[in-house]
Amino acid sequence: MRALEPWVEAPLATFLAESSARLTLLMTSAGQVVAQHGFTRAFDVMSAAALGAAIMASTDELARLMEVPAFHALSHQGAHYGLFLSGFDTPRGRWIGLVVFGPESSLGLVQLFFQRMVADLVTVAPGPEPTGQVLGEDFEDELNASLRTLFGQ
Amino acid sequence: MQDLAVALESITRVHGVRGAMVVSVSDGLVVAESLMEDIDGAPIAALTASLATRLRRTTEAAGRRQPTFLHLRADTGTVLAVPSSGDLLVVAIGEQDVNVGLARLEMLHLAERGI
Amino acid sequence: MSLVNFTAREITCKIVYYGPGRSGKTSNLQYIYSRVPEGRRGRMVSLATKGDRTLFFDFLPLELGTISGFATRFQLYTVPGQVYYNATRKLVLQGADGVVFVADSQARRFDDNLESLQNLQENLLGHGVDIRDLPIVYQYNKQDLPSDLILSPGELDDALNFRGVKSYGADCLSGNGVFETLRGISELVLKRLAAGSPVA
Repeated sequence: MRALEPWVEAPLATFLAESSARLTLLMTSAGQVVAQHGFTRAFDVMSAAALGAAIMASTDELARLMEVPAFHALSHQGAHYGLFLSGFDTPRGRWIGLVVFGPESSLGLVQLFFQRMVADLVTVAPGPEPTGQVLGEDFEDELNASLRTLFGQ
Repeated sequence: MQDLAVALESITRVHGVRGAMVVSVSDGLVVAESLMEDIDGAPIAALTASLATRLRRTTEAAGRRQPTFLHLRADTGTVLAVPSSGDLLVVAIGEQDVNVGLARLEMLHLAERGI
Repeated sequence: MSLVNFTAREITCKIVYYGPGRSGKTSNLQYIYSRVPEGRRGRMVSLATKGDRTLFFDFLPLELGTISGFATRFQLYTVPGQVYYNATRKLVLQGADGVVFVADSQARRFDDNLESLQNLQENLLGHGVDIRDLPIVYQYNKQDLPSDLILSPGELDDALNFRGVKSYGADCLSGNGVFETLRGISELVLKRLAAGSPVA
């Protein structure tokens, strides 16, 4: 398990232990990764987050088109694995959870403990992050060096 | 679904039973329910289905046939479950003094009907 | 908005390549994918139709390295260019930290460029973002085509680049201008962070 912010760790750890989920990803609604469990490659996490956020954004848009309230969650059932996606509001903005589970778990268990994790996250979440200067003024040299390395120039 | 709700009432009529459900074992989701208002069926369905799956695996590992009746006794009440054909589970939630024998009979009756 | 984690010292920025259909947005990402070492990029995800037209988006995660002590990642997205895919274009724009507007330099595509630029402005407004507040660079692609078919970067600047943002002539198939464009938008996005803009 890896969480970008320490306060996410305990609720996520409880969810993982209770639900037996194989893969779990928490992300912002724009597809930025907040926490993950079970992925082995950092890049795969980013791709999964981009796709998960896109699916949720699509269902939100579908709801708007059909003039019905937003869909909170959706699930896909495969032959061996299931996928559960759900959006929820936190003091840090709207987040999305993506969970892949196998036969040792079930959609009901995942839904149940996901709801509890969301309640725990909302309880322990600190307020919005303060704004402030992030990068030093001299970042440009490092950026140029990084881009040169990236493109082999 | 109407028939199923009627069938569940044969269980909820038993003394001490506060609710009954048909649950999908693989999903852990409620298929049909007849519950008193203060009972939230979804968590009970998810956890009982998980328990039934684990118990089935346990008896299989021990070389025994799958369980036909689960009886969980807690300080303030009880949960009963009977696996049905296919992927379904009949679940009853009762008081401490529930008539277990009659509830079991009605649950087995529903399970044997093939739901 | 950029995701900045002070504990893990990580920055993640979302950059969207926007522009009319067949202007070369996906080609930009494909070139970047082909040139960046494997350890510094993820798989390129393409949600495309059978005809290789982008249906939803292309996605390419890049690891820039450490900048000012922050492990810096860029997520590059493209949008589908065809007019009727506006709903998905708008979705992909959500949370963008910077936009590369990829224009088609062919004279016959001029109106398409203008329409796409207006569409970008509208979709950003739909997310509550004023295009003047967002880091943006222009790329004039297909500059390798015969000169009688295309407009020069200067002509395109005069016609499209009202704000005088940085612009780059490019030929994405051979890669000319691709790196420069990415460098340009990266600088703008990171400069905005360095200036202390709000972070999510």
